Amino acid sequence: MVKIYTTTTCPYCVMAKDYFKKIGIQYEEFNVAEDEKAREELVRKSHQMGVPVIDIDGTIIVGFNRAEIDRALGK
Amino acid sequence: MLYDLIIIGGGPAGVAAGIYASRKKLKTLLITESIGGQPVIAGTINNFIGFKSISGIELKNIFEEHLHFQGGVDLKEGLRVEKIVKKDGGFLISANNGESFETKVVLIAVGSSPKRLNIPGEEKFEGKGVFYCSICDAPLMKDKVAAVIGGGNSGYYSVLDLLPYASKIYVLEYGDSLRADPVYQDKANASGKVEVITMAAVKEILGDDFVRGLKYEDRKSGELRELKLDGVFVAIGYQSNSGLAKNLVEINQWGKIVVNHQSQTTSLEGVWAAGDVTDVFYNQINIAVGDAVKAVLNIYDYLNRK
Repeated sequence: MVKIYTTTTCPYCVMAKDYFKKIGIQYEEFNVAEDEKAREELVRKSHQMGVPVIDIDGTIIVGFNRAEIDRALGK
Repeated sequence: MLYDLIIIGGGPAGVAAGIYASRKKLKTLLITESIGGQPVIAGTINNFIGFKSISGIELKNIFEEHLHFQGGVDLKEGLRVEKIVKKDGGFLISANNGESFETKVVLIAVGSSPKRLNIPGEEKFEGKGVFYCSICDAPLMKDKVAAVIGGGNSGYYSVLDLLPYASKIYVLEYGDSLRADPVYQDKANASGKVEVITMAAVKEILGDDFVRGLKYEDRKSGELRELKLDGVFVAIGYQSNSGLAKNLVEINQWGKIVVNHQSQTTSLEGVWAAGDVTDVFYNQINIAVGDAVKAVLNIYDYLNRK
């Protein structure tokens, strides 16, 4: 299960989502600027508030880092 | 496998170099954390020639398409180069995943990153209210109070990113006047949300789990003052990512790689550099692209002469 926490304007969020699309990984997106519950979840999981934060089966990745995403996906 | 050329960096300079190297049929590898570079966080770009107005992400996509359309360049994405070592008349390039690559010559095009304040609390609260990418994180300041450190253009880009969200925005400038273009200042002032404090030396970021305020010195009176706020956006310029070339080529007192501006050669034979990592006077996408092209043409001549 892949979750991505984003804001509307964040370019690295777009890059991360584009990457998931490219490699055929489904994800659920939460916009933390709009959704207060998601914002609390983001802080609880990553102990910070910057975006994007990606949750891959419990592995938390702060920022768009392809190598870490690949590792978490077991690629 | 011995490459003719390894390009380090995938911003405008790195991509331009890749396209030219491929057209010159150089056996080329491009290593980058991700294609795009700084334009990605620039929001909208209105001065890249041929594009009236384009978002950083769109420009990055066009760069990527052009590089793939041209073909002929091996690409290693998601890697950060940590070391460049001279070896047997060429170079050994090591990446953060333990892989290494051999090449005859190197082009360093790793750009620059936002400069840090280097004050107490900055590192502790990074991502917890201290931000360097306003287009990414400004929406987190909805109905909150934010400060932008730096009254230049990049500071005012952050102010404009914050305007739709923050309830109040302080701009703290170290000097006695703002350097941002008047057109940005007017737009910010018209909102009624912006308070400018000049002659302000930011001393400390304050908070508990997250940022709650900052301490600055009023440089006129010498007095220390505090502001209560929720976010600090640092926009005091950029520093060259020249760390990987330390002890390899000449780097000037501002941390920039010194190049010959006719050829983009560095102090070490076989190593070229282009774009914002160098001591070029003006940090512009157009210029980074042009300098990278210059470098590859010079590399092509050099390899043919050898």
